[in-house]
Amino acid sequence: MGLIQRMAEAAGIPTISMGNAADRMAYIKPPRALLVKFARGSMLGEPGNSQRQRRIIMDALSALQTMTEPGTIRELPYRWKRPDPS
Amino acid sequence: MPVNLENFRPAYEKWVADSLVDYQAGNMKEIVKKYPFVESTDIPWTPYSGVPSDQTFALITSGGLFLKDQQPPFDTKSIHGDLSFREIPRTVRQTDLDFAHAHYDHSLARQDFNIVFPVERFCELEGDGIVGKVAETHYSFSYVNDAARLVTEAVPELLDRIRAQGVDVLFMVPV
Repeated sequence: MGLIQRMAEAAGIPTISMGNAADRMAYIKPPRALLVKFARGSMLGEPGNSQRQRRIIMDALSALQTMTEPGTIRELPYRWKRPDPS
Repeated sequence: MPVNLENFRPAYEKWVADSLVDYQAGNMKEIVKKYPFVESTDIPWTPYSGVPSDQTFALITSGGLFLKDQQPPFDTKSIHGDLSFREIPRTVRQTDLDFAHAHYDHSLARQDFNIVFPVERFCELEGDGIVGKVAETHYSFSYVNDAARLVTEAVPELLDRIRAQGVDVLFMVPV
């Protein structure tokens, strides 16, 4: 996904992406990204929490309008731990 | 080309040769550790201008989503991954979707695809006038290891389709 994002930016399309692993993002170098604390496969948090999903998208819209440095990563404060698989 | 493939190609060929046995045995941790990620020093950047309420948004996910009655699943067996992508309409419903991606647990996304592809939330924001327009068509990938073919074949085609839809901004959710 990082490569697709880089190519889109190079082609003139602004992007905002999400990530949940700061170490991986350090070498992927996404042009503009939000960092969340959610587990793999649930980048916008728990299923069914529409309000939180909406808030994260609002954060993304804000990031688009305020980030000015290539490679900016903004960490979001939301927390949710997925239940252990039954 | 904003992605340097010169070093990647030979390293990737070696990785495939060295990793095939582990890959077939499902020892993903081992082979991910050895994967020759494309390294970059520069960061491509298009300044954002305008306001979201005037713009068209499209989503890209790498959650392996596909329309189960209309589209083939992704190849989840090949060590190269699957270079293809699926077009997902903005009107998609949970019951239309299945997931083909061997490297994450789909159980949560099967409850609510918006956690990897929040198109319903985007459509609500369109209804509220916060984003101008949600594109008719969005894009789903699964996992891809062959980064060279991804950037030389799949992504140019993807960007052509995105441009043809008049998309102004991309929201991208990896898994």
